[in-house]
Amino acid sequence: MNEKEEEEVKVIPTDEVPRGAARHKMHGHSHSPMAAFAYYPDRVKFVAADKEEKIVLLLRKHPITNLKWILTAAVMILAPSLVSFMSPFLSLPENFQLILMMGWYLIVLAYIIEQFLDWYFNVNLVTDERIFDVDFVNLIYREITDANIDQIQDVTVQMGGVLGTTFDYGNVVIQTAAEIPQIEFTSVPKPDAVAQILRELRVEEEREKLEGRVR
Amino acid sequence: MNWGEPILLGAKVFGLLGLAVYIVFAGVVLVQVARMTDTLEVGFETAIKLMAWLHFAMAIGTFVVAFVIL
Repeated sequence: MNEKEEEEVKVIPTDEVPRGAARHKMHGHSHSPMAAFAYYPDRVKFVAADKEEKIVLLLRKHPITNLKWILTAAVMILAPSLVSFMSPFLSLPENFQLILMMGWYLIVLAYIIEQFLDWYFNVNLVTDERIFDVDFVNLIYREITDANIDQIQDVTVQMGGVLGTTFDYGNVVIQTAAEIPQIEFTSVPKPDAVAQILRELRVEEEREKLEGRVR
Repeated sequence: MNWGEPILLGAKVFGLLGLAVYIVFAGVVLVQVARMTDTLEVGFETAIKLMAWLHFAMAIGTFVVAFVIL
């Protein structure tokens, strides 16, 4: 981790997290529900987390990864203005032209909604006890993978490519001793900071074990 | 290009069927959004649910308009 990132996100032990205004001044803390990197987020409720579990980190894919579908959607929005000059379309009765246009924009809207939902809800969560990988594979299938912090064996940061290096995002691959041997946080912002937070949480968990404070 | 009556009638039936299937899809999106917001709450759920309902209403609206004007 370089000096700049250390300045950006200071790892704070879970029992020393400030409350009130001081909490809101922490680096990496965000109030935006759209944040791709939220350190100790305020209002997050997650179905698989226990009541006592504190959510340390909420991660999504870096916003720049949305660029591809946003450009596709822009082309889809503009497409009818090009197609409408073509003769087969113009030769259709006007009521058919109107319904075709409405149908097309419905499909565009559905595409935008699906892509947004895919980005917004496919998250990775780190609590003081576990890590979670939440995947909505298709319209109605959900997969939540989790592993205890003390089951983490190895954390690898993968960064590369022009966009990844420029915008500081990459993959964090976590090898675990749990039933699922590997959990991957894909294209998350500040992967070095994520790895360091995981390292600190493991140390903290070890300390809790030694002190007999394990939940 | 001259579109004959039988072709336009076929297109009308096909279009209405397609839009009916689309309404079902829009309903599935509503279920999907409900499941997603049940899984994770971050504070943007109302807007997302509104967006899904708007999409559903537009699907029904398009079907009704198509049924009336085609």
